[in-house]
Amino acid sequence: MDVSDNQVNVLVVCGSLRQNSYNAALARALPGLAPPGMALTAGPPYHTMPIYNHDIQDATGFPADAVAWADAIRAADGVIIVSPEYNWSIPGGLKNAIDWVSRMKDVPFKEKPILLQSCATGALGGARMQYHMRQCLTGVDSIFFGKPEVLVTFAAKKFDEKTLALTDQPTIDIVKQQLAGFEKFVRRLNGKK
Amino acid sequence: MANLNVISICGSLRKGSFNRIVMNLLPGFAPEGMQIKEAPPFSEFPLYNADIQNSTGFPAPVQTLADAIRAADGVIFVTPEYNFGIPGALKNAIDWVSRLQNQPFAGKPVALQSVSPGPVGGARVQYDMRRSMVFLDALTLNKPEIFIGNCAQRLDDKAGKITDEPTIGFIKQQLAAFAKFIAAHGAKG
Repeated sequence: MDVSDNQVNVLVVCGSLRQNSYNAALARALPGLAPPGMALTAGPPYHTMPIYNHDIQDATGFPADAVAWADAIRAADGVIIVSPEYNWSIPGGLKNAIDWVSRMKDVPFKEKPILLQSCATGALGGARMQYHMRQCLTGVDSIFFGKPEVLVTFAAKKFDEKTLALTDQPTIDIVKQQLAGFEKFVRRLNGKK
Repeated sequence: MANLNVISICGSLRKGSFNRIVMNLLPGFAPEGMQIKEAPPFSEFPLYNADIQNSTGFPAPVQTLADAIRAADGVIFVTPEYNFGIPGALKNAIDWVSRLQNQPFAGKPVALQSVSPGPVGGARVQYDMRRSMVFLDALTLNKPEIFIGNCAQRLDDKAGKITDEPTIGFIKQQLAAFAKFIAAHGAKG
C-alpha cells in the first residue's frame, strides 16, 4: 500500500473487546473496502485504561494508555467507530475511554470527523448505540458523517462462521459506499485536496 | 410502613464528588421505614469483555453488586453526566450485571438523581439511564425528577451539606414517592 502525504489517515476504534466479535470482524474488513485515497490504522488499546476517576487525574495525571489513545485520535484525519450496542447504548468500556480523553486540555475529538458503524445479531443493527454516540461526541464537538449509515443487522448471517470474513454482498457494497463518502467528507472538512 | 431496604449507587468515583455528597445525605431524607445504604463498588470491574465471562466467569465484584441489587427493594442512582451521557464506568458496571442469569434489574424499582455544576443538571444522563433501564426491564420512577443543577450554589461541599432548602424538599418528596412506588410495584408486596 502506498502511504503518501495525500492520503486520508483514518483511525479505527472497535467498541467490542472479545476475540470473535462481529464488530471487530467488520473493522478488520475495512482496509479491503476502503477507497485508495484512505489509509486505515487500528487504534491503540483502550481497555487497559483504569475506570475514570478525577482523583487519579489530579494525583498521577492521565494514564499512559489514555494519552496514547488521545494522541492517535489527534493525529488522525478522521475516526471510524465500529461498535456493538450494550443495553441500548454505548459499551461502558469505550465510553470510559472517551470520558478520559474528554478531560484533556486539547480534547482529541474536537472537530474530528467521525464515522459510525455497528453490527448486531438482531434487527436494529446497533442503532441505539449509534444515536447515543452522536449525542456523546457532539458534547465534545465532533463532526459526524451522515449517510449512508452502516447498521449491520442479523450479523451472524453476514460473516463467515469460521473466518469471520464479511460475506454479505449488500453490506460490502454499502460499506464501500460509506467509506468513499467519508473520504470526501474528511477532505472537505480538513481542506485536503 | 414496611421496612424498605434501598441501595444507592454513585456514578462518580472521586472522593469529593457532588453526587456522592448528595448520596450520603439520602438516609437522612428518607421517609420512615426506608433504609438507604451504598451498594458495593464497581471501581474494580474490568472493562466488559465476553471472553472473560466465558473463560473465568463473572468477576467476584460483579457478583457482589448483582447480589446486592437483587436483595434490595429498590436502587437509587445518583450520577453525574459525562459527555452528554452515562459515565463509562457506571455503564460498564451495568453492562456486566446485565449479562447475568437472573438479571438483577428485571422488575427492580429504580430512582434517578443527578448533580451537576452546570445548569442542565444531568438531564441527558438521566434520560440515557432510563433508556438502558427500559431494556433491562426495570421499573423506573417517573416523578418527581431530581436534577440538581448549578450545584455550587446549592451545596456546601466542604461541609458535605445541601444548603438549598427547596432541593432538600424535592429530594424528600422523591424518596417518599419512591417508597410508595416500591410498595405498589415492587417484588415484595
